[in-house]
Amino acid sequence: MFFNIFSAIIIVSSLMVVLSRNPVYSVLFLVFTFLNASIIFLISNAEFLAMTLIIVYVGAVAVLFLFVVMMLNINSTKIKEGLLKYLPFGVLLTLVFVGELYVIFQGESLGFVTPKIDIEELFQNGNSNTKAIGLYLYTDYFIIFQMSAYVLLVAMIGAIVLAYKDKKSIKSQNVFIQNTVRKEDLIKLVDSKKK
Amino acid sequence: MGMSNFLILSSIVFAIGLLGIFVNRKNMIIILMSIELMLLAVNINFVGFSYVYNDLSGQIFSMFILVVAAAEAAVGLAILTIFFKNKGTISVDKISKMKG
Repeated sequence: MFFNIFSAIIIVSSLMVVLSRNPVYSVLFLVFTFLNASIIFLISNAEFLAMTLIIVYVGAVAVLFLFVVMMLNINSTKIKEGLLKYLPFGVLLTLVFVGELYVIFQGESLGFVTPKIDIEELFQNGNSNTKAIGLYLYTDYFIIFQMSAYVLLVAMIGAIVLAYKDKKSIKSQNVFIQNTVRKEDLIKLVDSKKK
Repeated sequence: MGMSNFLILSSIVFAIGLLGIFVNRKNMIIILMSIELMLLAVNINFVGFSYVYNDLSGQIFSMFILVVAAAEAAVGLAILTIFFKNKGTISVDKISKMKG
């Protein structure tokens, strides 16, 4: 019951993300979509992931989007010019894709699968969802966890390098010149008694 | 709340993300948002399988998808601001320098 209500809200608001005229409204509907998705995660017993979704997406990614949208200051009336031109083609391709997915999902179900990491067993031993994730994230999946940290590091360095602009008007030190300076360049000895 | 509910929801959200990429030719930010929607659909699928089959590994994998999504958004928006600074537009139709 709750699942159907919230998934209907997700579908409507994600349609509004794609089709709304103003990019600022798009970002706000994206936030709304992520909030409802985190409620879906909550009712399917993934509490830690729900809270992470709110912190990471609503707190960081969506605010970043909003910041960029407001910084670029695009003329929103011209944005939607090509909408009607491309809409029939896009709807056709999307319907083909949904049909393919439907055909695939008609196949026979997996039936009972023995879970690799049993959630019920973890709960029986008194572990919360967060503790259960931590128990496996820091042991079995440790290498992947560290590699995801490297992915974030590379993304951070990449974003800084792309957005950094060396301004010539700012007076800053040049380390190379500072290290290669010799004393003959700076100090000039003058015989003062000669005069 | 069976498997089919999760599959239907995630495939519809994924399809809407796909539609957003096709429809928006003037605004690259909305294309990046559509990619976020598609990643969210994948996350819903993983959490759904984790719920139905009682397996925690789906939730753990979903966290890594979250990491990749955040990194992708940061780099994509940095490229977008640089492009806007150079060209003064973010229309997808205008990005055709490599075409010759």
